[in-house]
Amino acid sequence: MTDTLTPVLSDNWDAERSWTLDSYADGGGYDALKTALGMEPGALIDLVKDSGLRGRGGAGFPTGMKWGFIPQDNPNPKYLVVNADESEPGTCKDIPLMMASPHTLVEGVIISAYAIRANHAFIYVRGEVLHVIRRLQRAVQEAYLAGHLGKDIHGSGYDLELVVHAGAGAYICGEETALLDSLEGRRGQPRLRPPFPAVAGLYASPTVINNVESIASVPSIVRNGASWFGSMGTEKSKGMTLYSLSGHVTRPGQYEAPLGITLRQLLDLAGGVREGHELKFWTPGGSSTPILTAEHLDVPLDYEGVGAAGSMLGTKALQVFDETTCVVRAVLRWTEFYKHESCGKCTPCREGTWWLVQTLARLEKGQGTEADLETLLDQCDNILGRSFCALGDGATSPITSSIQYFRDEYVAHFEHGGCPFDPAKSTLFAPAGAHA
Amino acid sequence: MPTLKEQFWDPVAGFGVTFRTMFKKVVTEQYPFEKKPTAPRFHGRHQLNRWPDGLEKCIGCELCAWACPADAIYVEGASNTEDERYSPGERYGRVYQINYLRCILCGLCIEACPTRALTMTNEYELADDNRADLIYEKQDLLAPLLPGMEQPPHAMLLGDDEGDYYRGSFRPAKNESEA
Amino acid sequence: MTVTSKEGQEVAKADLVTLTIDGVEVSVPKGTLVIRAAEQIGVQIPRFCDHPLLAPVGACRQCLVEVALPGPDGEPRTMMGPPGRVKPQASCTLTASEGMVVNTQISSPIADKAQQGVMEALLINHPLDCPVCDKGGECPLQNQAMSNGRGETRFVETKRTFPKPINISAQVLLDRERCVLCARCTRFSEQIAGDPFIALIERGALQQVGIYEKEPFESYFSGNTIQICPVGALTSAAYRFRARPFDLVSTPSVAEHDACGSAIRVDHRRGKVVRRLSGEDPAVNEEWITDKDRFGFTYARQDDRLTHPMVRDEETGELRTASWPEAFVVAARGLQAAGATGVLTGGRLTLEDAYAYSKFARVALGTNDVDFRARAHSAEEEAFLASTVAGTGLGVTFEDLEKVGTVVLAGLEPEDEAGTLFLRLRKAARKGLKVVSIAPFTSRGLAKMHGTLIRTAPGDEAAALEALAHDGEVALDAGGILLIGERLAAVPGALSAAAALAGTTGARLAWVPRRAGDRGAVDAGLLPSLLPGGRPVDDAAARVDLGTVWGTTVGHEPGRDAAGIVAAAIAGEIGGLVVGGVDPDDTADPAATRAAIGAASFVVSLELRATDVTQAADVVLPVAAAAEKAGTFVTWEGRQRPFGKVLVESHALPDLRVLAGIADELGTPLGFKTVEAARAELSELGGWDGDRVAAPTVSTGSTTRESSTTDGDGLRLATWKQMIDDASMLDGDDYLRATGRAAVALVSAGTLAGLGVEAGANVTVTGPGGSATLPVGVADLADGVVWLPAGSDGINVNRDLGATAGATVSVEGGAA
Repeated sequence: MTDTLTPVLSDNWDAERSWTLDSYADGGGYDALKTALGMEPGALIDLVKDSGLRGRGGAGFPTGMKWGFIPQDNPNPKYLVVNADESEPGTCKDIPLMMASPHTLVEGVIISAYAIRANHAFIYVRGEVLHVIRRLQRAVQEAYLAGHLGKDIHGSGYDLELVVHAGAGAYICGEETALLDSLEGRRGQPRLRPPFPAVAGLYASPTVINNVESIASVPSIVRNGASWFGSMGTEKSKGMTLYSLSGHVTRPGQYEAPLGITLRQLLDLAGGVREGHELKFWTPGGSSTPILTAEHLDVPLDYEGVGAAGSMLGTKALQVFDETTCVVRAVLRWTEFYKHESCGKCTPCREGTWWLVQTLARLEKGQGTEADLETLLDQCDNILGRSFCALGDGATSPITSSIQYFRDEYVAHFEHGGCPFDPAKSTLFAPAGAHA
Repeated sequence: MPTLKEQFWDPVAGFGVTFRTMFKKVVTEQYPFEKKPTAPRFHGRHQLNRWPDGLEKCIGCELCAWACPADAIYVEGASNTEDERYSPGERYGRVYQINYLRCILCGLCIEACPTRALTMTNEYELADDNRADLIYEKQDLLAPLLPGMEQPPHAMLLGDDEGDYYRGSFRPAKNESEA
Repeated sequence: MTVTSKEGQEVAKADLVTLTIDGVEVSVPKGTLVIRAAEQIGVQIPRFCDHPLLAPVGACRQCLVEVALPGPDGEPRTMMGPPGRVKPQASCTLTASEGMVVNTQISSPIADKAQQGVMEALLINHPLDCPVCDKGGECPLQNQAMSNGRGETRFVETKRTFPKPINISAQVLLDRERCVLCARCTRFSEQIAGDPFIALIERGALQQVGIYEKEPFESYFSGNTIQICPVGALTSAAYRFRARPFDLVSTPSVAEHDACGSAIRVDHRRGKVVRRLSGEDPAVNEEWITDKDRFGFTYARQDDRLTHPMVRDEETGELRTASWPEAFVVAARGLQAAGATGVLTGGRLTLEDAYAYSKFARVALGTNDVDFRARAHSAEEEAFLASTVAGTGLGVTFEDLEKVGTVVLAGLEPEDEAGTLFLRLRKAARKGLKVVSIAPFTSRGLAKMHGTLIRTAPGDEAAALEALAHDGEVALDAGGILLIGERLAAVPGALSAAAALAGTTGARLAWVPRRAGDRGAVDAGLLPSLLPGGRPVDDAAARVDLGTVWGTTVGHEPGRDAAGIVAAAIAGEIGGLVVGGVDPDDTADPAATRAAIGAASFVVSLELRATDVTQAADVVLPVAAAAEKAGTFVTWEGRQRPFGKVLVESHALPDLRVLAGIADELGTPLGFKTVEAARAELSELGGWDGDRVAAPTVSTGSTTRESSTTDGDGLRLATWKQMIDDASMLDGDDYLRATGRAAVALVSAGTLAGLGVEAGANVTVTGPGGSATLPVGVADLADGVVWLPAGSDGINVNRDLGATAGATVSVEGGAA
């Protein structure tokens, strides 16, 4: 069942004014909420556990299990926080979802908060996407007016307040504990774990933090059942998900398909690599995941399959690069991003990314030797797994994987005394059929 | 009874070396009337060098004092200010003393100097008739002001910050002479 | 570093966990961090952000070690991740657990490489500043770069640079290039001092310690951040470029500025103290000291320091330099000729010096007219000290404060008057201690202790203490501690009420004076009714007990107290005065004290520096400052804090040697001429286990005074000395002075409205003796009360207003 698109989350995106409550309700929206409110919260957690839904934010941790960690005997209030700080380069699934159908998320938030018995939920949205924030705020307002939020929701006796919070422009705030710090009004920097957020998260209270897509998937599970969800995808990676294709693709965009589909299938659906060019390398889940090449076209895009290929499924942000792209240049750009976004808390990431950028910039200019490549790899070795959070790890992924697959291209820079590529040719406005 | 040789030759033979030497070039040095130059790297009296604009190279770091095996050097640092600047950067040597009663002229101090402020000259006439005068103060040790140099305190004339001085990326001075 | 506390040694076996570090099994108490467990077996894991007294943060990643935890089958499994890689763990955030196997840099190549990688990263943006850096030579970064770093750099690119040092306060300078962003300073300020005026700002490699420009880093404890900075990023203006570590001779000593007896380390170079650091004493100050203890030491080398004895020339009437023998003879003859003589000392004496004054008065001068209280005092206080404080030994301790539920403060502002005590109270308060303060308003210190205010106008403290016995909310009981400040002496009935409160509730009581020598002076008998060791003068058995050691008899009539001596001198009943370190402006009536010194026929002054007293004296005898002599300070706890002579080259004589010289000339030798001999005699003397004076039972002043209302138009004056103020012991420490809090008169919002001025405008406060003009501010005072700092920004309340706490003053808007 991995050969066709399965639009669930994106099913209503083409509806007229899909972001309004009316449009959403016409398609059966908020029916799942009524079903859920009729269930025991514990039964909801079991339902999500049974469905096999795994976190869509990158790590793939089972969502139901995460909810189960909330200690219900803790006297503090419980919180649900939705991580909508989508800033990973190449990743564009949550923002389109919130743009096209914010009510899917809002409904998911209400059901999820009910399941973990939280009376306060937050959606932490990336601050730069003002249009999305407005849509989300309007959707929340509509939900309040319709009685889906607030006191005693639909007579169930359950109260929920939902706050849409705009971030202040830091990639690190996508890290869940940094997000909590930011939400509390501090500088976003990752926190020491333990204690884990499930025990002491927001305001030192039990907190569940989930990705937008994970939460948005919950209503469909409630509506259609765990076995329906489990019927999609592979054995360990169940359900459908949004794949975001970008870069040198004929028709870039979000493709909702069961987990386990391959890039070859997705490229077929997307009209292939841009005309006249061939695939050179691609990221399976944003820039923090090691790059893959054309030889990995048939790798099943689920958590296990991509892991076996030496990368990570991540956010399923498939950035596709054709042969006009200089891999050194692409990696340098990514590394500059990490240097800019490193929060500065820990030494390996703070100083390491600073150094990586300078080394890569030098190599791109052709001022280096093969010994520098070894130094570069050793620098990555000293960052990977040594930094406080995963940002440092992610910063090294493109470098190590690109040297693994394209060492010759790095060497070509030294021999050429500079970049052998014409950067103009990799642009989308380059004349069709141009060659490197 | 001594032989003829013993009677006449031997007494004269005893002067053989004397007579032969009379016709050789003398090795006696007429110091202090005539002074001979030392070997170029002879360890003589120290000198505190200047940058080409006259600022002192010494930063008062005391590494020379630390290196000194005879404990002959005493340094006290102080802060340069915008109004009163003696060296590029933050710090200068306010007090600098070398006690030549203790100094063994080993040169470890000049190896320790991170700014090449302290070097040794070939001057070896380090004698005096009292102890106090053999403690050389900073003004005794500082290199003379060469043409183009200005007596500190004054602002950095060669660059915008101390980095320019240390990297040697300063503007050429009027007189480019290595102090 | 402070690691093992007593609790650590007392834990039962069951509370231990056993782990293996580098192949060595070690058992540590539960909750111990791996980095400290490693210290137990002598393995030093390099670290920067870790500090035993600060909460773990795990920021620098220097302490990475390889860790294996036992799996379900009991076999240790190395902690992994990202996939396929060993993930070294930060040992400063990891608590030791049973069966854990830790391999540090010594036994694990992976940990060693990880540490070297972090060190290399730390160094890439660190400037090659070591030759000009104050930390050079004692720098953890230098040392650990040598022990755990690569020999050579691979970084050939451009370092991050910042403009060189910026002032984050008048005293503290920040060099951002050198900072390794360990956050020790910001965490100290927030967690320990409660002054979060510095914080990390910006991100990535541009992250830096920052301040809010309108609120510089003005904390009484800012110097501690300089000491715990693992690099030279924070330096002090006072020590900047003064010396290198190898120049310094370090001597452990005890701080002389307050009654806390903080352990300090004094570094001197060529006979000059150039810096003081906090010592480590878990029982007293842990690793923290106040800025006053740290930076206040140049008073001893001011230009007005007395260096030679001086006598008044008979012909010219001017003071002239004299030899010690001559000065002794002149002093002795003058005192003999003057007849009755009183002895006034300040509260800065060491225990040994105080004992010498005490014995000098009784034996050489044959009088009980001796008093150390150069401040407001009362007979009630004397009785309180005799009954409750003198010679009682170690009572309430710093550590006790962490073990009780409630601490009540009365007449005491710990942040200003006993900084180390404040830090310990704050530490305890963060763990749940309830602090209640009987004070006129919520001071910054009380707010930082999350304390509760019992708003009390000055003079009403006694009533407040009495009410506390029935206060259901505070509920003081045997698990509580009552800390009484010396200022309560000026409130009739307050000390009686405090003693009664302790008696009825079972709470423990401690008297916290402001000066380092006060408690020692009480123990040494520098009071008219008290002999050394708490022996009452009017107790024959006590006099006999003392006589067996002194070999003489002492007068049985209690003498005059300080105010009495002053009055008697003015009245001509006393001809001679021996004055040791008294500033007339500290006394309750500065004019009277000056008049007494003028009226006395013969005045002997023992002083450090030229003062009003030395100008008027007939013989001036220079004495040694704290760093120039050995001695003992007794803390408010009653703990003896002996210290040795720091400046061993100094020939300055301690007070006791000077007094011994005069006593010899008087023909009544003291029996000791050295600190050691005085100490020996003190220990031979021992304590007094006989009858004690009963606690005072003075009725409260509130019966005679209307509570919390103004007398006529005036406002009731509340005042105390701020920590960093015009004190003469801070002379010369200009950078430190600049970090002090400005003098502001505080009134309630209601009172301010009545004055018709805005907060921040100048007001003129007028007392019986004059007036002073200063800005006004608002605090949660009761209406009709005004608070002034007692000696800040050139305003001395005693001298300029002629008023003490509780007096009535008038306040008007505008300058006088």
